[in-house]
Amino acid sequence: MLDLLPQLLVNGIVSGTLLAIPAIGFTAIYAVLRFPNFSVASHATIGAFAGYVANVQFGLPAVVALGFAFAVAGLVGLITDEMVLRPLRPHGALTAAIASIALTVVLENIVRFIFGNDIRGYDLPIVRDWRVWEVRIGPQQVENLALAVAIMAAVFAFLTFTRLGKAMRAVADNPALADIKGVNALQIGRLTAFIGMGLVGVGGMLLGLGTAIDPLTGFRFILSIFAATVVGGLGSIPGAVLGAMVVGIGEELSLIVLEPTYKSAVGFIAIVLVLTLRPRGLLGERAY
Amino acid sequence: MTKMKTTRRTVLRGAAAASALIAAPGIVRAQSDAIRVGSLNPLTGVGGAYGPSMRNAIAGVVDAVNGAEGLLGRQIALTSEDTQTNPEAAVRAARKLIDVDGVSAIMGTWASSVTTAVAPLCWESRTMLFCVSGADSITLLPHQGFIARTQPNSKLQIRVAGDFMIGEGGTKLAWIGPQTPFAQSSIDILGEIAAANGASMESLIYEADKTSYRSEVDDILRGDPDFIMLGGYAADSTIVLRDLFQAGYENAIIGPAYAVNQGVLESLPANVTEGVYTWEGSPAVDSGAYARVQAILGVEDVDPYSAQTYDHASLAILAMGAAGADSGDAIRENLRSISQGDGEAVDNAVDGLAVLTGGGSVNYTGASGPCDFNEVGDITGTQFVFKRITGGNAEQFKRV
Repeated sequence: MLDLLPQLLVNGIVSGTLLAIPAIGFTAIYAVLRFPNFSVASHATIGAFAGYVANVQFGLPAVVALGFAFAVAGLVGLITDEMVLRPLRPHGALTAAIASIALTVVLENIVRFIFGNDIRGYDLPIVRDWRVWEVRIGPQQVENLALAVAIMAAVFAFLTFTRLGKAMRAVADNPALADIKGVNALQIGRLTAFIGMGLVGVGGMLLGLGTAIDPLTGFRFILSIFAATVVGGLGSIPGAVLGAMVVGIGEELSLIVLEPTYKSAVGFIAIVLVLTLRPRGLLGERAY
Repeated sequence: MTKMKTTRRTVLRGAAAASALIAAPGIVRAQSDAIRVGSLNPLTGVGGAYGPSMRNAIAGVVDAVNGAEGLLGRQIALTSEDTQTNPEAAVRAARKLIDVDGVSAIMGTWASSVTTAVAPLCWESRTMLFCVSGADSITLLPHQGFIARTQPNSKLQIRVAGDFMIGEGGTKLAWIGPQTPFAQSSIDILGEIAAANGASMESLIYEADKTSYRSEVDDILRGDPDFIMLGGYAADSTIVLRDLFQAGYENAIIGPAYAVNQGVLESLPANVTEGVYTWEGSPAVDSGAYARVQAILGVEDVDPYSAQTYDHASLAILAMGAAGADSGDAIRENLRSISQGDGEAVDNAVDGLAVLTGGGSVNYTGASGPCDFNEVGDITGTQFVFKRITGGNAEQFKRV
């Protein structure tokens, strides 16, 4: 199995990069709104289906469809946060987190109601992988990788250089101080819900581009997203990227020592190890 | 003290409440008069592509009987629940069907894991369970006769497909699929067939519900197989087919028809599925019962599971008709007397009930096949059809 090590590493890097996008969305929402929004599962599915409509039914190229996925998932995220989760947040993070689980079931079933249970694929050709020495990588994977890196770069640039991005970081860091400085935490919260869920939607579609989509698409990677953000440090955006790489590569490399049936155990083991040895996560600034 | 004011509105409200109270026993009585049966199908989850039509086939039988003379002079009330293709959800739904609705039969559980989870509730409550699941272990459970299966068991399915793989020239066989109740038995049977024919055999069990199986595919391809059997369901088989293609695999593939179904063929480009074989227990396409399911569902091609659930409902109703009682025990004790033997051949519950009412006996032959059961509840005879995917369409290749 060690002969597969280079291939497993490549597979891990690709899946880690794809995982990083929704992990950034999840952790950004946690940082600003202070609760784990588990409805990322259904928002990833919504993004994947929105992209599907744009790509297959409207005939738009996949890159343009990604924008559609971002906008629809972001809007749904904003609306559901306003209507369902924000009224519950004063009752505590746990209440909001539980409500988000209920919300994800409702949203998943709305997708099911509209699109049915069938598996769907994007209008993209599937071609044989390239082989570089003994390692194979697909053109679609390379494109997804490039898109994911570009999106991450855009997110970091937004947070670093724009006024709104700085305001988001300020609210995440110290809401009271940000309020004193005139930052409208409510508006920033709305913006975070939109951008966070938009990124989750993009992640769902990127995932679907490499596989296929159905109403359970988002559900399949919720554990990995959660593990990535906990490992990286809840609320830390660079941490989410690092955590995603650790979980993505870890899951693939685990095949060397574990049966493939225990792949998901890697996420759980990573969560347990981090919470035991470094509760604030690899790059987190504080333990929650 | 607050003074109560009598207005026209409060009088009307009171009158409405009183009339509801008076009418209530009648409504309850009408409901309690009905013979209750339950459908428990995968309306959502990975089996969601089949569940709705499976349920509709059952409802079609119930409607036909209710539209004729009913069963034992009473109407049949069908309660439908969703397994979500998930054992935990299915157990909750089965508990509700048994404890709240008081059904005498639960019909149409699909995934083997679901049937395995629900079965103990059924035999403990003496409720008849009809399933379309394939795992061998199901009918080996201590079910006391309360399970009847219309799907060929996985041993028979894998044996037939394994023989096909050898017959088509396979010398290096491989099996790849998720952890299910039939995964290990499938590997064991395919291994036996390979060994008996001088072929090699590799296997890999992966975790269900993952988003990529690239590394698993790389692992199974290290053995350089020339014929791979898929052992999963539609969602994961879509990913595995795609990953096999991208990895450059060009040899033969076979998958169960429920895993390489129409949805999978539509979601993948034709070049990915070209030449893939599928196989399934074939419904009795020339039977009268099959034509009735076509009419109920309004489709030309009836999937094997809907054909089977049509038979579940017909068998349960005929068994109760033969017993003159509506309990799970009545179905269990009369199932074989109405499905096999020398009785008058019938292909639907309405005709069968007419024969039974006239004092005759029946031999029900259904949409899925003869519906003859052995002592543990497995069907004893069925046909298989092999199809080959060409240009994105499944075309019949062979019948055995």
